[in-house]
Order: sequence, then structure tokens, then C-alpha cells
Amino acid sequence: MNEKQSATLNRWIFIGGLAFFLMMVFLVPGVVKMIIVAVLLAYIFDPIVTAIELRGLSRTASTFLFFAFVVSIVWILASFLFPVVVGQLVALQSGANAEQTAGVILRLQAVIRAKLGFLGFGDLNLAETIDHFGTYLSSRVVDFIVHEGPTLLIYGVATPFMVFFLLMDGREIKKGLISIVPNRYFEFALDLLYKMDVQLGNYLRSQFIDAMAFGVLSTIALWLLDVKYFMFIGPFAGLANLIPYVGPIAGAFPAVAVSLFVLGDAAKAIQVVIAFVILKLLDDMLIQPVLVAKGVNLHPLLVLLAIIVGGEMFGVLGMLLAVPATGFTKVVLQESIVTLRKYRFTD
Amino acid sequence: MNIDLKEFFTFGKNEGRQPLFRDTLKSIPIFAELGRRELAAVERILHKREYQAGEVIFRQDEPGLGMYIIESGRVSIIADGAPGQVVELGDGEFFGELPLLDGGSRSATAMAKTSCRIYGFFQPDLFSLIARNPRLGVKIVMSLAAIIGMRLRAANERVEGLLHSAREKRGAEKTARSKGAR
Repeated sequence: MNEKQSATLNRWIFIGGLAFFLMMVFLVPGVVKMIIVAVLLAYIFDPIVTAIELRGLSRTASTFLFFAFVVSIVWILASFLFPVVVGQLVALQSGANAEQTAGVILRLQAVIRAKLGFLGFGDLNLAETIDHFGTYLSSRVVDFIVHEGPTLLIYGVATPFMVFFLLMDGREIKKGLISIVPNRYFEFALDLLYKMDVQLGNYLRSQFIDAMAFGVLSTIALWLLDVKYFMFIGPFAGLANLIPYVGPIAGAFPAVAVSLFVLGDAAKAIQVVIAFVILKLLDDMLIQPVLVAKGVNLHPLLVLLAIIVGGEMFGVLGMLLAVPATGFTKVVLQESIVTLRKYRFTD
Repeated sequence: MNIDLKEFFTFGKNEGRQPLFRDTLKSIPIFAELGRRELAAVERILHKREYQAGEVIFRQDEPGLGMYIIESGRVSIIADGAPGQVVELGDGEFFGELPLLDGGSRSATAMAKTSCRIYGFFQPDLFSLIARNPRLGVKIVMSLAAIIGMRLRAANERVEGLLHSAREKRGAEKTARSKGAR
């Protein structure tokens, strides 16, 4: 095969690969979601496995050791937290403090009717609305568990497997991908991949650590404030914090709702709001400047658009992945342009 | 054909395991001090490329990422301004090693004179190797530094030789001029 035929074949392999990927995105979005999550997790944990490798162990042994450690941690945490989580779930189901909640709802309804009656809230029936919403929500949750449960279980098992193999063979996979790049673009592709690797790794890891820190701090704050279900709301606030602007509000919302409608304590709700404002200030002024990579600054409008598009395409997970995915795209484009300028491909 | 589908589908795991190439690698000064396991670690990060006769491997003034080791075939090194090829390299020889250290641009163009099988050893992979196995990384970097140092010393000697002969020539011309004046 001569050089021209070889270049044509390479081009077709690239076009075919891209077409296959796009087809996968539209036909089996679940698999694509799983791959994206696995790749992101592998990026985040790669330095830990490399640090173990530094002790003289092989990559395979390092990956095994890391997974054994993660499984042990999850096991220990689960054995400690399981009773707490079950207790909170039971409380959630039984709807504790129902009387107090009804009192708060009625008081809130009276305030809204009196102050906002001119806006058409005069005949508002808050208790009925909340009851309807609760019924709708529980039916949706049951529906979700019945229909999506088996798929989620498969993804839940398959994703760690995928992360394991990506961590173990990540370098070989990258090498295999690079091997199909035509000779003329080979060094450029390698250069680009390396720069993207560094920037993307830093960005994703900083996002992950930030989410973890915010999650842990929120959990502690809610526990100190004696807010129920803090074990659910805290980690959720950490995850939601990955979504800029909307995330912190979405993270605080369940805690405020629980304080108002489950505990029936308006003062507690105010305390929760204050706690979240303090946490967000801490995050913005202390955690993020130290952790978050400065290279990936995204315009607020771009972030909002990305969240909307991510939500439309992949639901809640899409919203969570929208910002890292936009950051990834920005890094790819940025580095491609910078690196392309250095090479003379017009020759 | 420069792509190796077998390598692609096996994620490059089949590559670099031939003991023959390990011997070639061992004969290269940069890797001469490495043990068997260390050579195997180096082999794992090399990129196998195949070039047709007349195909450019890299161009002068373009950014360089690292060096190439010729397993089989012949490579011409051509520099702008220099007539013809600067040097022709063959099996077991290596070229383009300076960017491995400084990541600078290529000082010449490398072109395959015949069909070639070449292994690329690049800075990002060297950095990653240093991060994972600093002892091996330091060995390689020290060997590289020694080679560059040797070349610098040789270049210095050459410059000194040229200066010396220029001085001698100027002295001889001066003597001839003074003799002529007399």
C-alpha cells in the first residue's frame, strides 16, 4: 500500500470512528454516559494509582491495590453509615412530625394569602399542592426504580469494571489510539494529547476534590444543625455544587425544605440558609482558589447553556457532566489551536 | 502503511517485545546502562512508526517532541542552507534527541530514504516515566546529558580548532604581507 492509499485509509478510519461515536451517542446514550463517567473517574484517580506505582509495584498490582483500598473504605463507611441511612429512610417514609409540618404549611399559606393575595394567591391551597406533589414524586420514584433499576444496576457494576481497566491499561489505550494517527500528524497528536491530559486531569481532579470538600462540609454543617437526612442532603449538595450558579441553590433547597416541612422549624430553615451561604463563601474564597485549575475559565453564559443542553440530552447526570464536558471541549479546542499554530500542515 | 491495526486493537501491548529490538536499544548510548527490566520499561513507552521511502519524519523548525531510533531502513537528515544531505543514518542509529531535553524546534528535516521501521521516544512519555520510576528516568536523563555534553565538548574543540587555524592563517598572511613590504 503506498503513502497516498495509506493516508486515505487513515482518513476513513478517523471518519468511521467519529461516525461510530456519534451513532453511539444517539442510539445508546446510556452506554456513552457510562463511558464518560468511567473516563472522568479514571482521570481523577490516575495520580493515586501512579503514586502506588512509584513504590515499585507494577501498574496492574497498583490498580488492584487501589481498588482493594476503595472497596475497604466503602465497606467500612457502609457498615458505619448503613444504620444511620436506614434510620433516615424510615423516618422519611413515616413522615415524622406530620402535625408540626401541617402547622408550618398552614402558617405559610396564611402569610402568602395575606401578603401576596393581589398576585392571585388568594385561594391558594398549599397543603393540597404539597400533597399532590408528594404523590407525584413518590409515583415517579417507584416508576424510576421499576424501569431504570436493572439498567442502573448493570451500569453500577460495569462502571467500576471500566474504571479498573481504564486505570490499568489507560496508557496502552492512549498509545493504541495514537498509533492510528497518520505519520504527518503523529507528533502533533501526541503533543496535543499530552497537554490535554495534564490540563484535563488537573481540572477534573480539582472539581472532584471541590465537590467532595463541599459535600463533607455540608454534611457536617447539617449534622451540627440537627437537620434530618443530613447523610443524603450533604453529599447531594456536594454533587450539586459541581453545577455553577444553580448548584449551590439546588444543594441548599432540600435542607431548607426538610427544615420547613419535615421539622416544621422556620428558624432552622434560616440557620440552614446562613450555613450554606457561609459554606459557599468558604468555597469561593478559600477552597476554589487553591484547588480549581485557573486554565479552564468558562463564561457564565456558556456554563448556563451547557447545563441546559446537558439536561436536555442526558437529564440530571447530563447537568452534572455539562461543566466538566464543556471544560474538556474548551481545553481540546484551546490546545488544538495553540499546537496547530506551531506545525506547518499546509506543506 | 504507517498504522498497525494489530497494535491498535491490542492497545500496543504486543509492541516492543522482540528481544532483537532490545539488543538494538541496548546498543544506543542513552540506554546502554539500563538493565533488562529497565529496557523493557523503555520499550513499553516507545511508539512504533513505519515510513515509506521519501516520507518526511519531521520538518526543520517545527516543534520537536523527542528522538527516533531506526530499527530498519535508512534516513536522510537535511538542513536548510546545507547542500545535499547532512548525514544518512541506518539500522540501530538514532536522531532528533535534543528536543527530548529542551522540547525545542527541529534543527533539520528527517526523511525516510528507504522504507523504515522507526521507534519514537518522546518527552511526554519520558516525563511520565520519570514520575513513575524516577531512578530509571534519572539514568536516561543523565545519559542524555552526557551525550549532549560530549557533543558540546566536541563542538567546542571544533570551534577552537577553527579559531586556531584562522589565527594561524592570519599570522601567516601577516608574515607574508610584512615580507612583501620589505
